[in-house]
Amino acid sequence: MRRGAAGRFAAAVDPLRLAGPVLLAAAWWAMARALPPSLLPPPLAVLRRVAADFLAAPELTYYGLDNASLLGSLLYTVQNVVLAVALGTALGVVGGLLAARIALLRAVIDPMMLTAGTIPILIAAPFLLIWFGVGRGSAVALVVFNVAVVLYLFARRAAANLDPIHEAAARMLGATPAGAVRDVLLPGTVPEILGGLRIALAGAWGLEAIAELLGAQQGIGKVIEVLAGATDVEGIMAALLLLGAVAVVADALAAAAIRRLAPWTTPARLAAA
Amino acid sequence: MTARRTAARDRWVTLGVFMALAAAWQALSLVFTAEAQPGEPMVPGWQVLFSRTLLSMSDYFQGGFGIRPISEGGVRSYPAAVLSLLGNSADTLLRLAVGWLAGALAGTLLGLAVSWSAWSRRLVELPAQFLRTLPLLAMVPLFQLWFGSYFIGKVAFVAYGVGVLFFAGVVNAVGNVPQIHIDNARTLGAGQWRLYGSVVLPAILPELRATMLLSLGAAWAAVLGAEYLGAQSGLGYIIVFAQQFAFLDRMFLVALLIVVYTSLSFWAFDRLSAWATRWAPAAG
Amino acid sequence: MIALDHVSRRFRRADGQIVQALDDVSVTIAPGEFVCLVGPSGCGKSTLLQLVAGLLEPSGGSVNVAGQVVRGPAPERGMVFQRDSVFPWLRVIDNVQYGPRCRGMKRAARLALAQQYLERVGLAHVARAWPRELSGGMLKRVAVAMVFANGAEVLLLDEPFGALDYVTRHQLHDVLLDLWEESRARTGRRTVLFVTHDVDECLVLADRILVFRAGRLVDDFPVAAPRPRTADSLLLADMVAHRHRLLAHLGLERAAPRAIAGAAAQ
Ligand SMILES: Nc1ncnc2c1ncn2[C@@H]1O[C@H](COP(=O)(O)OP(=O)(O)OP(=O)(O)O)[C@@H](O)[C@H]1O
Ligand SMILES: [Mg+2]
Repeated sequence: MRRGAAGRFAAAVDPLRLAGPVLLAAAWWAMARALPPSLLPPPLAVLRRVAADFLAAPELTYYGLDNASLLGSLLYTVQNVVLAVALGTALGVVGGLLAARIALLRAVIDPMMLTAGTIPILIAAPFLLIWFGVGRGSAVALVVFNVAVVLYLFARRAAANLDPIHEAAARMLGATPAGAVRDVLLPGTVPEILGGLRIALAGAWGLEAIAELLGAQQGIGKVIEVLAGATDVEGIMAALLLLGAVAVVADALAAAAIRRLAPWTTPARLAAA
Repeated sequence: MTARRTAARDRWVTLGVFMALAAAWQALSLVFTAEAQPGEPMVPGWQVLFSRTLLSMSDYFQGGFGIRPISEGGVRSYPAAVLSLLGNSADTLLRLAVGWLAGALAGTLLGLAVSWSAWSRRLVELPAQFLRTLPLLAMVPLFQLWFGSYFIGKVAFVAYGVGVLFFAGVVNAVGNVPQIHIDNARTLGAGQWRLYGSVVLPAILPELRATMLLSLGAAWAAVLGAEYLGAQSGLGYIIVFAQQFAFLDRMFLVALLIVVYTSLSFWAFDRLSAWATRWAPAAG
Repeated sequence: MIALDHVSRRFRRADGQIVQALDDVSVTIAPGEFVCLVGPSGCGKSTLLQLVAGLLEPSGGSVNVAGQVVRGPAPERGMVFQRDSVFPWLRVIDNVQYGPRCRGMKRAARLALAQQYLERVGLAHVARAWPRELSGGMLKRVAVAMVFANGAEVLLLDEPFGALDYVTRHQLHDVLLDLWEESRARTGRRTVLFVTHDVDECLVLADRILVFRAGRLVDDFPVAAPRPRTADSLLLADMVAHRHRLLAHLGLERAAPRAIAGAAAQ
C-alpha cells in the first residue's frame, strides 16, 4: 500500500501508468466485438470518423448545420467556454474578494451564493433560453453563471482563510490599502482561486454542451443533438472523444498554470502525483 | 461577539435576504406585467404562482387516486395539481436516489478492488482521470441511445456520473491513507479483509466527504439533464415542456421546488457525513 | 529466540540516493531477554524493529523469530511505533480492544481487558474520548495500551515513552516490567526490544544493550544489576561504568578508549 515516492519524471514514464489507457481501449474494443456496431462501434472506427469529419462533414450540412465540420463546431464551443470562463472568473473573484472584506456585502450576497452553489445550475438553462434565445448568449450565460458562483465561493473562502497578520504586516511596513491588496490579498488567495478555476473549467464543458443540446445553431453539442436524432452512435462518440480530449488538455493547461503561478504552495502530493 | 451570536445573526440576515428577494420578485411582477399567453405572466407574482400556476400543474398529472388526468377529460383541480407535483417529484427523486446509490456502491467497490495492490492502482490512474474529465452532461444522448428514455436509462446515466467520481475519489483517498495506521493494524493481527473494513474504509471517509457532496451535485445535474432531453415525467420534464410554450410561471414554480429539494438533500448529506467523520480533527 | 543473520537494509530515497540503514547486522536474542537499542538518530534502530515486525524485508540476510523466517507482521510480535499510530476514527477504548477483536475475542472479555489496560496506563477516565481530544503523551499511552492488551510474546517498542513526563514514564516502566515478567507458556518471559535515547532508562530496564552507529552494531553488552532496580541502582559501580560507556558511544564523553575496546572484544 506504500505510495510510490518516485519523482514526477519517474511517474510520467511509469510503463504501468501508460498501459492504463491501452487497457481502456482494449476493453472498449472487446466490448465492441460483443455488441452490434450501431450500439458500440470499435475505437478504431470512432477514430477514423474523427479524422474523416474533422475538416468537413457533409452529412452535417444535410442536417442543417451551418458549420459542417467537427473542427468548426469545436471551435465555436471552445470560444464560448473561454469567453464564459473569463467573464465568470472576473465576476466571481471580484465579488468574492469584495465580500470577504465588506461585511454588509457579504451578509447580502453570501446566502444567495451559498444556495446557488448547491443547486444544479442546469436548472437555469431553460430560463436562459427564453431570455437570451437560441444563440450564443444563453449557453455563455449559463457557463458564466456557474463559473462566477464557484469562483465567488473559492475567492471568498481564500480571503477569509488568509491570516490577517500578513495584511497588517504589509500595512505596518508602509503599504497603502491598494498596495496591501496587490501584495498580500491577491498572491495570498491566488492558489485557492486557481484551484476553483480548475473545478469550474471542468464543469464548463458539460454545461456548454448541454446548453447547445437544448437549443443552439452550432457547436459540438448541436452536432451531438443532430447525430442523436439520426441514432448515429459512432458520430456521437467521435464528437464526445474530441470534446473530452479538449477538456483533458484544458485541465492539464490549468494545472500547469497553477504550478507556474503559485509555485510556493504546490502541495507535495500534487507534485508527486 | 461570540461565535454563537454571530451564527444567530447570520441566520437572521439570511432569512432577511430571502424575504427581500421574495418581496422584490413581487414588486417586479407588479411593474412588469407582460404575458407569454393570456393568463401566463412572464413574471408571476406569488398570488399567481400559488393559485393559477399551481392549478396548471394538473396538466402534468398522469391519473390515479380516482382523479382523471386532463388528457382523459379531467379538469384542473388543486388535488390533481398537488398529486401531480408529488408524483413527478417522486419520479425524479427515485431516479436520483437509485442512480446515486448504484453509482456510489459500484464506484466505491471498484475503487477499493483496484486499490488492493499498488500496480493495479497505477494501471487505472490515467483511464480514471480521463473518464472523470469527459463532460458528463454531453453524454445524455449517448445513454439514451444505449438504454432508451426509460427509468433504467436515467438511472444508468446518474449511476455512471456518480460512479466515476466515486471511483476516482476512492482510489485517490486510499493512496493517501497514512502508512502507519496500516502497519499498526497489521502488527495487531488484522488480515487484508479486516484491514479494509477497519482501517482503509474509515480512513478514507473524510476525503470522501468532498466526493459525496460533489457527486450529489453531479447526480442532480445528471437527472435534470436526462429529463430535459427525453422523459415522459419528472420535474425536469415539466420544465422543458413548459419552456417550449414559454410558460415562465410553471418553470419558475418547479424550479423553486427543485431548489428546495436540492437544499434539503445537501443538508441531509452534510449532517450524515459529518456524523460519520465526527472523529476527524477538523470536522468542518 | 530472535536471530538476525547478516541483515542489511537499503532504502532508495525519492531523489534517487541510496541509504544504507542497516549494514550486515548479526545478533541473537534469547527468549525472555529485555534488550535495549541505543544509538544516534538515523542509525537504523527503527528499521531493525520494523524488520523484526515483518513490516520491512531485509535487502540481504535473514530475520528469524522462534525458528521461523519472518514473512510479514503477526500479532505475536507487537509494535509500539515511534510516530502516532492510534486510529483517529475509533474511540480510545475501541482502539485498545482492536487487537483482541482481530483475534476474535468475545465482546465482554475484550472490553474488560481493554478497560484493565487503560487503567494500567492511567487513562481509564478517557475511555470514551476521541483520540483528537487527547494530548500527545496521552496518545502515546493509548498506543502502548493497544499493544500491551494484545499480549504479544515479542514486544517491539520504538521510543514508547519518549514524549512522556517524568512521573508517567516511571509508572509505565513498572507496567512494562510487570508485563514482561508475566509468565508465558512457551517462553517463560516475553522478549522485549526497546529503542530509547535515554541512557538512564536503558540502564534501569535492560538485560542487555545493543549500540548502533550508522547502520552497524558497534557494541553489545549485558547489564547484570539485580532487579527490581531503582534510581539508586544507577549508583552501583557496574552501572556507572556502563553509563560512561554509553555516553562515550553517543559522543558525549571522551571515555577511556581501552575500556570500550576491551569490552567489545569480549
Ligand atoms: N522509508 C524510507 N525511505 C527512505 N529512507 C529511509 C526510510 N526509512 C528510513 N530511512 C533512512 O534510514 C536511516 C535509518 O532510519 P531509522 O528510522 O531506522 O533511524 P533511527 O535509528 O530509528 O533514528 P531515530 O532515533 O531518529 O528514530 C535514516 O537515514 C533514514 O533516513
Ligand atoms: Mg527511529
